[in-house]
Amino acid sequence: MTTTSILTTIASLIAGSAIAAVGVVGLVSSQTSAPSQSPTNANQPVVIDYGSN
Amino acid sequence: MRAQVARPGRLETAWVCLLGLLLLGPALAPGYVLSYDMVWVPDLALTRDALGLGSGLPRAVPSDAVVAVLDELVPAVVLQKAVLLGAVVGGALGVVRLLPPDAVVPRLVAGAAYVWNPLVVERLVIGHWPLLLGYAVAPWVVLAARRWQRSAAVPVALWWLVPLGSLSASTGLVTGLLLVVLTARREVRRWAQLGALLLLANLPWLAAGLLHAGSATSTASAAARFGLHAEGSVPAPLAALTLGGIWNAEVVPASRSGALGWLAAVVLVPLAAAGVGRLRAQLGERTWWGLVACWTVGWLGACLTWLAPGAVGAVAAVVPGGGVLRDGARLLVLCAPLLCLALGAGAGRLLERVPEPARVGAALGLLALPLALLPGVAWGAGGALRAVDYPADHAAARAAVQQQRPEGDTVLLPFSSYRAPAWNGGRKVLDPTGRYLGVDVVQDDTLAVSGRLLPGEDPRAAQVREVLAGGNPRSRAEDLAALGVGAVVLELGAGASVAVAGEPWHRGTELVVQGLADVAPVAVPRTWRAVMAVAWAGFVGAPLVATGLALRRRARPLAPG
Repeated sequence: MTTTSILTTIASLIAGSAIAAVGVVGLVSSQTSAPSQSPTNANQPVVIDYGSN
Repeated sequence: MRAQVARPGRLETAWVCLLGLLLLGPALAPGYVLSYDMVWVPDLALTRDALGLGSGLPRAVPSDAVVAVLDELVPAVVLQKAVLLGAVVGGALGVVRLLPPDAVVPRLVAGAAYVWNPLVVERLVIGHWPLLLGYAVAPWVVLAARRWQRSAAVPVALWWLVPLGSLSASTGLVTGLLLVVLTARREVRRWAQLGALLLLANLPWLAAGLLHAGSATSTASAAARFGLHAEGSVPAPLAALTLGGIWNAEVVPASRSGALGWLAAVVLVPLAAAGVGRLRAQLGERTWWGLVACWTVGWLGACLTWLAPGAVGAVAAVVPGGGVLRDGARLLVLCAPLLCLALGAGAGRLLERVPEPARVGAALGLLALPLALLPGVAWGAGGALRAVDYPADHAAARAAVQQQRPEGDTVLLPFSSYRAPAWNGGRKVLDPTGRYLGVDVVQDDTLAVSGRLLPGEDPRAAQVREVLAGGNPRSRAEDLAALGVGAVVLELGAGASVAVAGEPWHRGTELVVQGLADVAPVAVPRTWRAVMAVAWAGFVGAPLVATGLALRRRARPLAPG
């Protein structure tokens, strides 16, 4: 096995692992971060939007 | 080149199931997932509304009736999990079969892309589960259509797949379009078969829609609200290339609105483009061009609702049922099979160009790509989907209603469409009370989008709104009874509501149920009943008859010689 192929193997493993790690970190952080919106207070007399855009 | 069809191996099956479980997470826990239009209850009744005989537009026909029947066989709480998991995983298992059996990484990438994309997440959160079933059915329709290309008889599978992919009007149109594009030939016999199949599979919503044609037009301006939309800084047509662009910003994953939304387009589109040539050879010309046509119709149709919402709105305002075209991003279901297959094929090509020693790492990166480009949606679409239990008071209210058996319809107060109950974690849901109680309801069908009210179509809802706007509790009770309303259900804690004087049937911690006297009968024209009876007979009977005939053909002994 040449030096080039060894370096390529290492580089690809690092790149592939980095993409996988980004995904995993994203998943984990999304599960542990605070919610962006507080739960709606159902006692408020409001017409609830179906959605927004 | 003859296309290969191969069952997914254990690895592919395990991979897409793992992703499905990761995506749904707590939504699969005991309880009901209630999110926007996704309303499931312990025992859905086969009401007039479910059968397409109510006064409002038949938006939940035939999906509600199908659930109402099936939840007699399987507990609704289990049925919903099966539907959610099947909708998320089922399509990916079909997509995998469309790629060669030895292309393991391309199959894994295509399967991952079919499970983990904005279309699936956004439609899960907004609760459009019939559309997701259509999405799951689409690759299987492609597989069955390929079999039909080689034989004269309609494959039995299509008699089941097409109805399953037509549980709502918009889904039926998408599934129908897919099938027509993939199987149409210049043969009278083929067109007759195709017409019969599509007509029978879509008959309930078609018939109910025609019966409601008089009130089936919608406000022209609403089209601009429901058309394809940009996702944050990502322009709508670009978002649509990676299956995003739903109108409701509330259900768009946060990661789609920023740099990752752009990155998804920049990475996935070239990767899919790289796989185009190989995919064409793998699928064969007929299927390839069929999927290209579907992609083109889906993407252009979706973009049309963004580019020219005025034209779409004009159609919806004039043509009964035209409003079904407003939510343009639904059409992206037509783009999904080709996109995901091309991504798989592109991944395969890319891997071949990577030096042998680097392939493991590259494959790892490609498999993680859909997740890396859409992080934050794991475990219940990022927290938007959670299974909850209904308050015990709902069961007590249902028992009271079932005991009293109110005549006519029931009105739900406060008179508004959506709720965000504390027991559902404050998550929005179309008021589930009517379905839970098992009664026909007159429900406000006015929609509020970004604080702007969009008028509904149900004439009875307009009458009830008018009654509730004036008078006093006693006169309201009399006027409602004259409209055929036999009960009023007030949801406590859902906001202020006008009072109606009625006989108290139930007063609990969540719901107050009152009965009204001297209720005028709600007349359903006999012709309506007859039309819907024929429609339901066709919808239910067609798959059963087709299956019976196929079994008989198989059982028939071969002729000697």
